[in-house]
Amino acid sequence: MTDTHDMIAQLAEATTQVFETMVFKKLDQVTPIEGNALRPRSNVVGIVGFGGTISGLVAFYSTMEAAQEIAGSMLGIEPAQVNGDMADAIGEVTNMIAGGFRLRMAERGETLAISIPSVTIGSDFYTRFASDVRRVMCPFRMDEKEVCVELILTRN
Amino acid sequence: MRFLVVDDSSTMRRIIVNTLNKLGYQEVVEAGNGREGIEKVGAGDVDLVITDWNMPEMNGIDFIRALRGIDKMKDKPVLMVTTNAAKDDIVEALRAGVTNYIVKPFTPDTFKEKIDAVLAR
Repeated sequence: MTDTHDMIAQLAEATTQVFETMVFKKLDQVTPIEGNALRPRSNVVGIVGFGGTISGLVAFYSTMEAAQEIAGSMLGIEPAQVNGDMADAIGEVTNMIAGGFRLRMAERGETLAISIPSVTIGSDFYTRFASDVRRVMCPFRMDEKEVCVELILTRN
Repeated sequence: MRFLVVDDSSTMRRIIVNTLNKLGYQEVVEAGNGREGIEKVGAGDVDLVITDWNMPEMNGIDFIRALRGIDKMKDKPVLMVTTNAAKDDIVEALRAGVTNYIVKPFTPDTFKEKIDAVLAR
């Protein structure tokens, strides 16, 4: 099985690539944090599941303000003009990050299938997993805002 | 030149349509999945199809297979825009009848190169 540190590095690389090419934003990575210590202050969470030789989830977290900025930048409109498209845009960003992760894992001999993305928007909610999982959070700075990508691996 | 863009993501459809418009292609028809795509093809002529892979109701592979069964679409170029970029994925897409492949995320330059390549065939 691929080393977890390498998986995190590949997930981070997939994330920065998606932001550079499709969101037109540069991300600066902050040190990844393992476990439940860091829970980002987020109102928008995109999730894509994966299963195969390794199983788990890729989750993308942002504030509402950051999500609007991301969607606006992708669509070529002002963040204030982004309405119903925000959830779809975050779903697509999460999908591309998970797709990039899947491709990089395939190059390492891992065979994965990924789910279609789901997006949760709200406040004061917490994502909990019923099965025993290993979680690594990768925070990034996007200008003055923070976005996070989390790799959640089920323990086989 | 009339394009058909098939993707369940309205964001991705908008990005593709914006990019096509910037390249000078203004006539673009949109569909949210393969089934809608087949309906759009039935309603009017299409010169180039750009489709996603993972979609509800009818996915991109089933859509292309159905498309190739329609006489007027047998030889029309079809570009697949997807995150499914492993070698096995590409082989499956080519077998289904895809002309060329764009891996997401993509730059506008890559997009233009692929469009030019399929139109130059």
